[in-house]
Amino acid sequence: MAARAETAQQKKVDTGRRTDLTGYLFVLPFLIAYGLFLVWPVILGLRMSFFDWSLVGTGTRDFLGLANFRELFGDPDFWASLWHTILFTLLSTPPLVLLALGLALLANRAVPARWFFRLAFFAPYVLPVSTVALIWVWLYQPGFGLINSYLVSLGLPEVDWLAGENVAMISVVIATVWWTIGFNFVLYLAGLQEIPEELYEAAALDGAGAYQQTRFITIPLLSRTTFLIVVLQILASLFVFDQIYIMNTSGGLNYTATRPIIQYVYEQGFTQYRVGLAAAMSYVFFVLILVFNIVQFVLTRRRRREA
Amino acid sequence: MTVTEARTPGEIQEKTAGTGRRRLGNWLAFGVLLLAAIIWLIPLAWAIDTALKTEADTTTVPVTWIPASGFTFESFTQVLAAGNLLRWYFNSALTSSAITIIVVLLASLAAFGLSRVPFRGRSVVFWVILAGLMVPPQVLIVPLFTEMDFFRLVDTYPGIILPQIASPLAVFIFKQFFDGLPHELEDAARVDGASRLRIYWQIWMPLSRPVIAAVAIFTFVLSWNNFILPFIMVTNTEMMTIPVGLATVQSSYGVRYADIMASAVLGGLPLIIVFLFFQRQIVQGIANTGLKS
Amino acid sequence: MYGAATALGGMALASCSGGPFGGSRETVHFWNLFGGGDGARLADMESDYVESHPGIDLKATTLTWGAPYYTKLSMSTVGGRPPDVAVMHLTRLPAYAPAGLLEPLDPDVLSEYGIGPDRFLPEIWEAGKYDGEVYAIPLDTHPQVMYYNTDICKKAGLLDSDGNLKPLVGREELIDAFQKTKEITKEQGISFAPADSVIPWRLFYSFYGQLGGEVLSPDADEVVLDQEKAEEALAFLVELTVDKEFTPSNQDYAAAVAQFQSGNAGFHWNGEWEVTTFLDAKMPFSMAEFPNVFGNKRVQADRHTFVIPKGIASDHKAFQAALQFVSSMLESSLIWAEGGHIPAYRSVLESSKYKNLKPQSNYAGVADKVVLDPKAWFSGSGSDMEVQVSVPMQQAMAGGLDTKEAVKQIRAALQELVDTPKPF
Repeated sequence: MAARAETAQQKKVDTGRRTDLTGYLFVLPFLIAYGLFLVWPVILGLRMSFFDWSLVGTGTRDFLGLANFRELFGDPDFWASLWHTILFTLLSTPPLVLLALGLALLANRAVPARWFFRLAFFAPYVLPVSTVALIWVWLYQPGFGLINSYLVSLGLPEVDWLAGENVAMISVVIATVWWTIGFNFVLYLAGLQEIPEELYEAAALDGAGAYQQTRFITIPLLSRTTFLIVVLQILASLFVFDQIYIMNTSGGLNYTATRPIIQYVYEQGFTQYRVGLAAAMSYVFFVLILVFNIVQFVLTRRRRREA
Repeated sequence: MTVTEARTPGEIQEKTAGTGRRRLGNWLAFGVLLLAAIIWLIPLAWAIDTALKTEADTTTVPVTWIPASGFTFESFTQVLAAGNLLRWYFNSALTSSAITIIVVLLASLAAFGLSRVPFRGRSVVFWVILAGLMVPPQVLIVPLFTEMDFFRLVDTYPGIILPQIASPLAVFIFKQFFDGLPHELEDAARVDGASRLRIYWQIWMPLSRPVIAAVAIFTFVLSWNNFILPFIMVTNTEMMTIPVGLATVQSSYGVRYADIMASAVLGGLPLIIVFLFFQRQIVQGIANTGLKS
Repeated sequence: MYGAATALGGMALASCSGGPFGGSRETVHFWNLFGGGDGARLADMESDYVESHPGIDLKATTLTWGAPYYTKLSMSTVGGRPPDVAVMHLTRLPAYAPAGLLEPLDPDVLSEYGIGPDRFLPEIWEAGKYDGEVYAIPLDTHPQVMYYNTDICKKAGLLDSDGNLKPLVGREELIDAFQKTKEITKEQGISFAPADSVIPWRLFYSFYGQLGGEVLSPDADEVVLDQEKAEEALAFLVELTVDKEFTPSNQDYAAAVAQFQSGNAGFHWNGEWEVTTFLDAKMPFSMAEFPNVFGNKRVQADRHTFVIPKGIASDHKAFQAALQFVSSMLESSLIWAEGGHIPAYRSVLESSKYKNLKPQSNYAGVADKVVLDPKAWFSGSGSDMEVQVSVPMQQAMAGGLDTKEAVKQIRAALQELVDTPKPF
C-alpha cells in the first residue's frame, strides 16, 4: 500500500516535471528569437551608449561613462529633432483620430456603395511608404505640382510645401493622414459594429434623432475604441521616420524644420559613424516612450476598473 | 466581430421611423463621403496619370490630366526593363512570407504553451513577453545593426527576416484566442494519449484559422511595408525590398517624373492587387489585430 | 522549427552566391551618385566598358546623392559586402581612409592598368593620397565657374572682339559688370542661390581662399578661421545681395538656374556641371573661370575619384576587374568632360578634342589652383559641415545678421565639429 502510494506521488511529481518541460519547450523557440532580437539589442544598446563606440570598429576601446549622455543633452540638434517628433505627433494625432471617426460615423449610416468608401480610405494604407513619399513630393512640387497649379488657377498664391520652413511639417502631416487614416477608419468601423442595435432602436422610439443618437450613444460607447486608437496613434506618430527621411533625402523637404529624432539617431550612428552616441540617444527616447507607455497602462487599468 | 455585415443605425432608423429627414441625412452623408473619397483617390489617380504621360507632358503649367501627346506605357516598360523592380518584388515576397510563417509558428507555439500547458512560471514568462510590447524596434536600429554585423548577416535575407520574427503582439493575440477555446476537445484527445504537440498541430491550429489569418495578414502587410529595418540591414541593391529600393536607388537619367511615378505605382501594385481580392479579410484582420492590441 | 532553420540556412547560402538571379560570370559592382546629365554620360562610359569587356557583367547602381550615398557606402563596407568599386568625392577621403574602409592601392599595380601616377598632373595625383598611401584615383576636378549670357553681355559691352568675356578682375570691375547687365535684364545682375544649403559655403570658401585664408589646422584639431579675412569675403557676398540686390537673398538652387536660363540674369555662379542644362536649353551662354576678386586666384572645387572599398583586394579576380573598369572609365572620360568636369586623366586633358570642347575647356586652367574643403573627417561634399556653416552665411546674405556676428557663428559651428570626438 505504502509503496503504491509512493509511486503514485512520484508519478504526480514526474508528470509535473514533464508538464514544466513541455511548457518550456513550447515557448522556447519564441523565447530564443525574443532573446536574440529584442532583449539582446536592448542590452547591447545600453552597453554601447557608455562607450565611444564607432561604426568603423573602435568597439569598447574608449569607455566614456556618461559623456555620450552629457553630449546629447547639450546638443541643440538633439532637442530640435525631439521637438520635431513631438510636433509631428501633436499635429498628426488629432486629424488622424477625428477625421477617421467622422468618416466612420458617416460610412456607418445607410449609404450606398460602402465597399467603395472602405476601399478609397483604406487602400493608401497598404502602399509602401516610398510610394507615398514619392507621390506627395510630386504633388507638392512648385509650379507644375498638382496642388500649387490648382492654387494658382484659383487665384491663390503658391505654397512652398516642401522647402517652406513653417509649412514643411504640415505637408508631412497631410501626406501621413492620407496614407494611414484607413487604419483608424477600419478600427472605428469595427468598434461601431460592436454597439448593440437595441440601443439605437430604443433611442429612436424615445424620439432621439440621428444627432442625439450619435452624441449620447455612439460616441460614449466608442470611448474604449477611441482611447485605443489615440494610444496606438500617438505611439505610431512618435516613431515617425520613414516618410520624413525619404522626403528629406530625395524630395527636397525642409530638413532643419522636420528631421525627427529617429532620423537624427540614424545619421549620428551610420552617417557620422558614432553608434555609441546614437545608442545613447535611442535610450533617452526609449525612456520617454516607456514613461508614456506606463502612463497609458495605468490609465487603461483605471478605466477598466471604472468600467 | 464583422465589419460589414451587421446592420447600421441608419438602416434601423429607417425601419423604426423612416422619416424623410433621416433619408435626407443619409444622402447628405453619402455626399460628404463621396467628396472625401474623391479627394482621397486624387493622389493615386494623379500618380497613375503622370506615369502614363511622356516626360515632356509631366511638367506643363497649368497641369492637365489629358496630356497633349497622348498616353503611353513607355515609363512602365522602361522602369521594368531598366530597374531592379522585379528583383525587389521577389525579395519583398520572400522575406515577408518567411517572416509571416515564422511569426505565426513561433507565436502560436508559445501561446499554446502559455495557454494550455500549466507549467510553473508561465505567468512570469507571459509578463516577460508582454513587456516586449514596450520595446519599439525603431529605438533598436543601432544595436540591431551592430548585432547583425557581428553575425555577418548584413545584406542577407536572414538579416532582413530575423529582426522581425519576435512578435509579442502575435503571442498575445494567439493566447487570447486559445484562452477562449473550450477545454473538452483537448481533454478528449489527451485521454486518447495524443501528445501536446499533436494536439497543438492537429486540433488547435485548424481551429485557429481565423486568428491565424488575422495575424498572418497583419504581419505580412507590416513586414512588406517595413522600411526602417531592411533599410538598415541592406545596402546591396540586389538585396533590397520594394520600399527600400524605391527610396534609395535613383534612375541614372535624372529627375524624370513619369518614370518616378511609374516605379511608385508599380511598387504599390502588388499589395493593392492583394487588397482588392481580399479586401474583407484584410480589413477584418487589421481591425481584429488592432483592437486586440 | 527544424524546417524553418534549414530554410534560413538555404537563404543565407543563396544570398552569398548571388541569389536566384545571379550567374557564374564575373560581375563588377559599381556604385555612384550621379543623376541628370552626369548619370546619362556615365551610362555611356559604362557601355564603352561593357562592349570592350564581353566576359564581364557590370552592375552599376546609382544611389541618392550626398549623405545617403556615403552612409550606404560605409555601412556596406562595415557589413562586409561592399561594391567592387565606387565613386567618392576626394574631400570625403579623410572620413574613409583612416577609418580603414578603403583599400590602399599600390602605384606599381595601378601602372600595370594604365592608371599610374604618370597619367595625372602631379598635384592631382598627390591629392588622392592619405598618410602617404594612394586610395583614390582621380576622375575629374569640378570647380565653381562663372556662366555668362553672351547676348546680354554683348549688349553691355562686356565681350571682346572674339565674343569672349573680357577679363573681370577685382571687386569694382565685377560689380560694374553686374550693374550693367542688371540694367539690361531689369531683374538680376548675377543669379546665384543664397538660400541653398551649401552654395553659400562654396562661394564664401572661394573668396576666402582668394584672401589666402585657412579654416582648419592641417590635422583638423583646431579652428584657424581668420576673422578679418572671413568678414571681408562674406561682406563681398552681402554687398551683392543686400546692397546691390543683384540676386534675391531667398533664391534657391533651382530658381537660380531657372533665372539664368530664362535670360533674367547676365551672369550665374554655380558648379560647372550645370552646363548640360544650359546647352539643352539652347540659350546663348558661355563659361569663364570663377572671378578673381581678391588677387589670389582660387576657387572652391572638389574632385570625383574612384575608390576600392576594403575587402575587395583579397579577391584577386574582383580586384583586377575593378581596376580594369577604372582604367576603361578614365579612357572614356572625354564623354565625362562634356558635362563640364575638367578631366584628370592627362591623355584626355591634353587631347585636342578636349581643348576644342567649348565652353567646357575654357576654365581647364584652374584644375590645380582650386581650394578643396579642409581635410577633416566631418568635412567634404555633402557633409554636415558645409550645411552648418552655410546657415549663418545665408542669414548674413539676407541682411539679418551682420558679417562680424556671422563669422563668429561660423567659427562656433566649426569649433563644435572639431570638438566632436573622432570616430576612429
